[in-house]
Amino acid sequence: MDALSNLLDGFGTALTPMNLVWVVVGALLGTAVGVLPGLGSAMAVALLLPVTFTLEPTSALIMFAGVYFGGLFGDSISGILMNTPGNSTAIAGTFEGHRMAKNGRAPQALATSAIGAFIGGIIATTLVVFFAPTLASLATNFGPAEYFALAVFAFIATSAVVSDSVLKGMSALLIGLTLAVIGIDGPSGASRFTFEVPSLFDGVHIVVITVAMLALGEVIHVASKIGKPDDTTLIPSKGRPFLTRSEFREALPAWMRGTAFGVPFGIIPAGGAEVPSFLAYGTERRLDRRRPNPMFGKGAIRGVAGPEAAGNSTAGTAMGALLALGLPTSATAAILLAAFQQYGIQPGPLLFDRNGEIVWALIASLFVGMVVLLILNLPFAPLWAQLLRIPKNYLYAGITVFASLGVYASSASVVDLMFMLGLGVIGFMLRRFGIPLAPVLIAVILGPLAEDSLRRALAVSEGDATVLVGSCITMVLYTLMIIAVVFSAVTKVRSRRRVDF
Amino acid sequence: MSTSVTTDPPDTGPRAGVLTGRSGLVVPALLVALGLFLVYGTVTMTVPDTATSPGPQVFPALVAGFCFLIAALVTVQLIRRPEPVELGVDDEGRPNTGTFSNWRSVGITVGTVALFIALLEPLGWVLAGAFLFWGVSIGLGGRRYVFDAAVALLVSSAVQLVFSGGLGLTLPGGILAAVF
Repeated sequence: MDALSNLLDGFGTALTPMNLVWVVVGALLGTAVGVLPGLGSAMAVALLLPVTFTLEPTSALIMFAGVYFGGLFGDSISGILMNTPGNSTAIAGTFEGHRMAKNGRAPQALATSAIGAFIGGIIATTLVVFFAPTLASLATNFGPAEYFALAVFAFIATSAVVSDSVLKGMSALLIGLTLAVIGIDGPSGASRFTFEVPSLFDGVHIVVITVAMLALGEVIHVASKIGKPDDTTLIPSKGRPFLTRSEFREALPAWMRGTAFGVPFGIIPAGGAEVPSFLAYGTERRLDRRRPNPMFGKGAIRGVAGPEAAGNSTAGTAMGALLALGLPTSATAAILLAAFQQYGIQPGPLLFDRNGEIVWALIASLFVGMVVLLILNLPFAPLWAQLLRIPKNYLYAGITVFASLGVYASSASVVDLMFMLGLGVIGFMLRRFGIPLAPVLIAVILGPLAEDSLRRALAVSEGDATVLVGSCITMVLYTLMIIAVVFSAVTKVRSRRRVDF
Repeated sequence: MSTSVTTDPPDTGPRAGVLTGRSGLVVPALLVALGLFLVYGTVTMTVPDTATSPGPQVFPALVAGFCFLIAALVTVQLIRRPEPVELGVDDEGRPNTGTFSNWRSVGITVGTVALFIALLEPLGWVLAGAFLFWGVSIGLGGRRYVFDAAVALLVSSAVQLVFSGGLGLTLPGGILAAVF
């Protein structure tokens, strides 16, 4: 019951009036950024990171807790009302959600999505409370070979398994790894790829890379599509935003199944919630076909409930993996890791001992944030949708201004802005050719960990490469990786023949 | 929408030049450029004598190798099977815009950001930021030039007040700071 008393202490910190304000601010910002098409919680945290530099670490991390889930709540609003999911994780819930909205059941679709996100998030975060410390103490046995295996697992999972083309995923991964090796090499002190430019000695900052790839890349991408017809009309959401008892009872099993899909995926470094949310969607669809009166295609409430719960429960356990292992399993988690490091806190096995107070306050604020988000989203979802009425040119001009502000503020250096422009153009190019962005960010974050653990493992074994597969844990990880690759190859070949979605 | 669901390419019909559907070759070109950058940097790197056995050059060399390998594979794939060009509609009945690009808009947007970077320190945040907002707004199809300029000045001034005045970030003052 150690975890419970720690959590109660955490609530004590999180529920002080000032910290409560930060959670609400985070939830508001997160939802707002989530609602805007193309921007997600990764962006929100990246933009806030430099701005929160002057805050106390606890307050800043508490605010990020609100942002973290807020982005996921907001994503589905634009998906349901406009058929433009705010993020790739919201795509699965959009199919049936938008159909419900077209049939005049927009408020119910929004409520189903908000409650689903709430249930998934709460269950996953509760699991984190009880299992993260155990996971952390287990991870103290990890040596460099194990960490290298974990990093490779993350690389392969995000680039080869999750993205629809292995080569595209690998291209993205290599761009990220190249960015990761720039800067002074820690162990030897050699200056690598810096061309003696002092601003490059610390490498290219993750905030610059994220803002450039996600925000500026998106702005340029939207600019490139100006003049093309896009039929994104906003469907108004009128009526009572609550579910009737029978609707609630219908959605409940789908919320539960969705959560069950999402929870394990949060711990696997597989790039986020795309896979579990699609798995949940597929399951609900298959179950629906067996019912006497199939609802899929006509706006099925379960087709919204499953994916939404899956998405948020993935995010919940992803936080657990980040805190306990120091391993980011999604782009947002990767940026949060940078946030921790900005305050000199290193997530990982020792975190619960070294910074216990901050961590438990953060976990408690995840719970508080979720309640705040439910309140913000359930009755007010139609209000959030008004954000989508901002003219496109002002919206994206504003995003560009904030992106530049964030990048400049983090270092007051014009060189960083130049990097932002260059990487923004690359981000646009990746979007144009359908190359996923998540592997770039995962590679930038985990690249140094991979290199460092590889070199340490090889230094200990004096160059004997078999040490990399020498332990039980590494063998399990590599076996899992091979199974995942084979499984995804088989499903890809199959889905080429039979298109299910 | 940030990710597009790609489907298998349909046959692209009669109009097929050598480069049709193969503009994706930019990607392997970028990978080769990155690989060369890594090779050049690795070869010219000055490694301190104190460095221990797997030195700072091993990992970049590995990455460079993979860059060339993946670039070759992508090139082969694109030559054998070009990507679809804007044709048809997707399952939702929306026109498939494919890899259509409005280069004029892209040019204005990218050019604005570049000019903003050059002007930021001499002009100061308020003016350069307003120019950034105004230019990107035009790049995205805004046509009310004077009104937009007013909006832009409002936005950049608000940012200056909130983030510099309120949160204590240092933003360059530029010529306005010199005048007042």
